[in-house]
Amino acid sequence: MTVASNASNSFIMSLPSPVPEILTHPVGHGLVMGTIILTFFMLISAWSIWFERRFAGRMQSRVGPNVVGPAGLLQPIADAIKLLRKENLVPSGADKVLFWLSPPMTLFFTLATLAVIPLSEDLLVAELDIGLLWVLAFSGLLLFPTWIAGWASNNKYTLFASMRAVAQGISYEIPLLFSAIVPVVVVGSLSISDIVRYQGEHGWLLFWPLGPGALGFLIFFVASLAEANRIPFDVPEAESELVAGVTVEYSGMMYGLFPMTEYVHTLITSALASALFLGGWYGPFGWAPGVHWMVGKTLFLFFVIFWARWSLVRFRSDQLMRLCWVWLVPLSLLCVCGAALWVVYVGGVA
Amino acid sequence: MLGIVALSLIALCIFGAGLMAVRSGNLVHSVLWLAVALASTSAMYLVVGATFLSAVQIILYTGGVITLMLFGVMLTDRNETTKIGNPSGRRALGAITALAMFGLIVAAVSQTDFLGGGGTLVDTQALGRALLTDHLLAFEALSMLLLAAMLAAIVVARRRDP
Repeated sequence: MTVASNASNSFIMSLPSPVPEILTHPVGHGLVMGTIILTFFMLISAWSIWFERRFAGRMQSRVGPNVVGPAGLLQPIADAIKLLRKENLVPSGADKVLFWLSPPMTLFFTLATLAVIPLSEDLLVAELDIGLLWVLAFSGLLLFPTWIAGWASNNKYTLFASMRAVAQGISYEIPLLFSAIVPVVVVGSLSISDIVRYQGEHGWLLFWPLGPGALGFLIFFVASLAEANRIPFDVPEAESELVAGVTVEYSGMMYGLFPMTEYVHTLITSALASALFLGGWYGPFGWAPGVHWMVGKTLFLFFVIFWARWSLVRFRSDQLMRLCWVWLVPLSLLCVCGAALWVVYVGGVA
Repeated sequence: MLGIVALSLIALCIFGAGLMAVRSGNLVHSVLWLAVALASTSAMYLVVGATFLSAVQIILYTGGVITLMLFGVMLTDRNETTKIGNPSGRRALGAITALAMFGLIVAAVSQTDFLGGGGTLVDTQALGRALLTDHLLAFEALSMLLLAAMLAAIVVARRRDP
């Protein structure tokens, strides 16, 4: 595979030289890049809701939202204003502090992972040595607000939903971690940018260590769908059984934060999968700037998730657990062993 | 100087959260306060530069152990409103034990030579290498212990055929 040399058209290079002074200071760099990346992810997430509703309409031979603005494009703004104007109700039997704490915690843990997601060589907030662990740590913590919301609401549906969410979360975290270890073993680094740079030199991890790469990507994608509670893994908020999962008792913007962070989390997951396995900001040919490739791959995976959502049906709880423990966990262990053997016998890391 | 201030604030967080974990009568609140204490410990590792340890602390303790605890609470405790007191009521004995433990830790800390004796801050790669070379036996022994615990749990929880 040819490698795109995109040093000449990276983001920093496209800025007027000399580089603005604020970008050379760590805090200034963090503020500017953080604002850019946060804005990008939040805007994409907001309009992805519009896109998903139109897309679902097309798949189900109906129209979808088309009234507010041209082709319904202003629908996300209308929804946000509606949610903001609604009253935030707290059930009388609820644990009030925890009930109020849960939605902001969801938002915090989701957005914290954005700190290490690189959109291109320079377009990232911070390059941590342990970037991958940082993302996995915070997405693991996302179980807490879900659990707290379900328990604090003092409602049997929400409690069932949070029990399911925790059981599913701790089960699927194992194949997720193991499949994320595959790139780490091959590259020999925990930094996401290092992993992408390695793929720029040696080809995408999806293809090259032939077995573990592709299988690792599949397991990572499936397990992260389960972590993000997307269909076919949305047992915790199965609307035909549990009304609306842990969000039953929430209203107004307190409710709105849950679906919003779910979309942001799905988008971050797509970005992480494209950085770890699909070569990140490197494309198959060189003429497009790196950030275009990264965004394109991320949006493609994001689209595949929507596609699956409106094509597949939901698993039962026991099928979900069987899939994880009988198939994904042993397969992901095999993947890690395969990657280790590959490193020892074929291509070694320094 | 800034590091000392940050460490003191974090230590205060750990202390307060630990105290609340013991004192709050609600089992769920206790577990969540414990999570705050463990997350603060991870912040402490981060401040002194042990980034790998800090991430592992979050993944394993805050993410894993506490989640399992919450799961256990959910499956066993049905009456969340009951206050859990101190069942034995032997406060003096508890205080003596706590003080003895505190003295032990202070003695251990004061006798340790931190980085002064030619030690260096260990990076992630060196840590991994040390685990799989110098400390391989301890590493394997620990994993055998965990395996035994897991098998025991399966045996205990297995459905008995009539």
